[in-house]
Amino acid sequence: MSEGFGARALHPVVLLVYYAGGITFGMLLFHPVILLAGWAAALAVNFHLDRGRSWRSWSLPMAGGVLLLLVLNPLISHRGRTVWFYLGDTPITLESVAYGATMALSLSFLLTLFISYRLLMTEHKFLFLFARVSPKFALLVMMAAGLIPRLRRRMYELMRIQRMRGVTVSEGTVLERARSGARLVASLLAWTLEDALQTADSMQARGYGTGPRSAYLHFRFRIRDVVTICGLLAASGAIFALWAGGGGVLEIYPRLGSLALSGADRAAMLIYAAFLLMPLIWEWRDRSKWQALRSAA
Amino acid sequence: MEGSEQVASFAFRGVTFMYPEADRPALSGVNLSVKEGEFAVLSGPSGSGKSTLLRLLKREVSPGGRLNGTILLDDRPIEAWPAREAAARVGLVMQHPDQQLVVDTVEHELAFGMENLGFSRDAMRRRMAEMAGFFGLEPLLSRRTDELSGGQKQTVNLAAVLMLQPRLLLLDEPLAQLDPLSARELLGMIRRLNDEWGITVLMSEHRVDDLLPAADRVVRLEEGAVAFDGSPREFAREAWERRESAWLRALPAVTRWALERGLDDSALEPAAGFPVPLSVKEGRQWVRRIAEMKGVSAAPNGGDCSVVPTTDRRAENADPLTPAADMRAADSRKPLLEAEELFFAYDARSPAVLRGLDWTVRSGDRIALFGGNGSGKSTLLRLLAGLHRPQRGRIRLNGEPFSRIASRSLHARIGYLAQNPQLHFAFDTLREDLTHAAARIGALDPVGEALRMASRFGLTHALDRHPHDLSGGERQLGALAVVLLGKPELLLLDEPTKGIDAERKMRLAVHLEDIHREGATIVMATHDVEFAAAFANRCSLLFQGEIVADDMPGSFFRGNLFYATPLHRLLGGDCSRSADRAERGEALR
Repeated sequence: MSEGFGARALHPVVLLVYYAGGITFGMLLFHPVILLAGWAAALAVNFHLDRGRSWRSWSLPMAGGVLLLLVLNPLISHRGRTVWFYLGDTPITLESVAYGATMALSLSFLLTLFISYRLLMTEHKFLFLFARVSPKFALLVMMAAGLIPRLRRRMYELMRIQRMRGVTVSEGTVLERARSGARLVASLLAWTLEDALQTADSMQARGYGTGPRSAYLHFRFRIRDVVTICGLLAASGAIFALWAGGGGVLEIYPRLGSLALSGADRAAMLIYAAFLLMPLIWEWRDRSKWQALRSAA
Repeated sequence: MEGSEQVASFAFRGVTFMYPEADRPALSGVNLSVKEGEFAVLSGPSGSGKSTLLRLLKREVSPGGRLNGTILLDDRPIEAWPAREAAARVGLVMQHPDQQLVVDTVEHELAFGMENLGFSRDAMRRRMAEMAGFFGLEPLLSRRTDELSGGQKQTVNLAAVLMLQPRLLLLDEPLAQLDPLSARELLGMIRRLNDEWGITVLMSEHRVDDLLPAADRVVRLEEGAVAFDGSPREFAREAWERRESAWLRALPAVTRWALERGLDDSALEPAAGFPVPLSVKEGRQWVRRIAEMKGVSAAPNGGDCSVVPTTDRRAENADPLTPAADMRAADSRKPLLEAEELFFAYDARSPAVLRGLDWTVRSGDRIALFGGNGSGKSTLLRLLAGLHRPQRGRIRLNGEPFSRIASRSLHARIGYLAQNPQLHFAFDTLREDLTHAAARIGALDPVGEALRMASRFGLTHALDRHPHDLSGGERQLGALAVVLLGKPELLLLDEPTKGIDAERKMRLAVHLEDIHREGATIVMATHDVEFAAAFANRCSLLFQGEIVADDMPGSFFRGNLFYATPLHRLLGGDCSRSADRAERGEALR
């Protein structure tokens, strides 16, 4: 789906608030049920944005991390009163298993959230935010980001051509290979530096460094941005108040509390889920508009 | 024209410039003034100070060194301008399209200059809308700059410079790295800017065929001094009177041709009332007028061969290489490299570049391979050099399939010169690079061999320089020397004339002739029709992944409008043989 549609059309500042809040509360609200609800909400957002394509490509490493936390935490941490069983000499406590599970849930939730971040906060939106803090640094970040793929391409090209004349890392003794490798890197660097001098000329020729810079990238703050940011801030305030009052957190150490949700827990969970699903409102709204247009035609 | 009421866009008053640690000045005593709205061409051999002169006008990139004299910009000393105004006032476009691009997308690249000058957002958007429209860049705005073709990149560079609305546009060989079609398009754009917006243009360029007719003024530099300053027609006459080959090479082919006819027939002296033709159109008129004067009725297409001097005709009859004979000779020569049914794509998702290509290179061939941008010329050469393996089909060298030849011996037998000569250097000096290349094939005296090769290409003075410090032409020749020291039977050259001045180009042609005489077979992918016409004995055209035409240069160029030299276009079908002779004779002189 293109920029300018649904959640992707939201202003970078709104997205920043959304992700800052999402991540902060994801760490503050340490309760497996709430985290599970949050995970489901984040997953729903992912599936709406690209049918879960990028989430699926990340799911394997994510599952690995989850498994690692599930296994490692009980083995390393022996806090907690309730000893479940002994693994050799190691006591495995119910609390550390529960803690590990909650951690794992929190991790997979935050990663899921981050995958949608990569879809929504494009390079340009990020730069727009960054350029307000420091235009020069934003430019530097962008140029550096472009340099790495370019270096890679050039290195392959250089290796291919130099192989023809025997300067290669796949021929000769170890010493010769090392020498050839060093030579390839040196000529790549010399070449890149020389290009950089010309780029610098081109920048200066267009007045770089003559005074304060302005930024071209622009995103308009629209009514839907105002509505969304108000909603997000209100929800954040409510969740924060509930958390400060002791809601939304499962007591694990020293003794595992009940998983049953208190009233405050339930309220925090609902508001947090609503917070996380906020971008979908626009996704749904725009999609139904399309549907209506298509059926009218 | 010589009115003082017209403002000088810029002026050099007795400017002498010396680079630090140089033993002679790069510019000496330059007096030059160009009026507002003029289109001036800066001509001169490599190293004559063209770039130095251009860069002195652009304060931000002026070289360090000792400067005497004054440079005025709109009657005000250039150093008196405030930084921002100076940056906006003068725009500079350089030779290499890639290195001038700074940021990621086309739109942002265009905005870069305005951001630097702190424009407000609304002003930026307005100018963006206007410029993108003028340059037809709207469909490209959201594209990443590294996905564009060379011509598109250079158009973006030009547009990015014009975003600041300069009054003076400096162009330092902006067409050198482009193929002829993109070059013509960009030149058309520059002419429009000059015509419609009245921007003063100062442009240095080697390729003059399309440029000189557009110019108001030609300034020729030689060894840092102004050797000529006047209109293009006066320049043609001056070049003719001097009879120096360097000057004549700086003229369009049509002009050169017409002037040479004038030499044979004193009635056609430029002074005798015939304006020297600068373009194909004027050339046709010129031919017609001469035919009328001589009482010969001109053919409707203006192609009356009788104006072509008789010396050429005699040569034609005496020449044993009539097309039929030559083709027969070609068929009897043994095939050196045979490609059968080649299919190649860079990856599974992208479209195939070569689609079932069959081609035979016979030993002793000198082939010019033509084809549009992205038609796969470079890819084909890389496949033939064994740098990539085709997905289907096979290539045989002397009847032996590539797959059975060890890669080391394959690379020794086939020399490949990449489009970017820089890729061929790996050492700290040219001498080391050449010596290593000679030692690689087991030469008894690699140092001496390297020295001989360097002196043959006129590179002795550059032997101890770092390969990256060589000038563009030297770098090209140096890379060729590295490849040649491997003593390949087959030489594959990718755009060997890119960015080289006319004089050097002709010297390169002579070198290639020598190498060919020594027994090497040469295949050259090129856009340079004139060079190919002077050099090749076979021309092939690659189109949609296949070779669609493969013929002698004469019959290949006959009837072509696009892949044709200006002389072929001037003389039309009937006389193109004469055009071939004229071009060949010229190249080999």
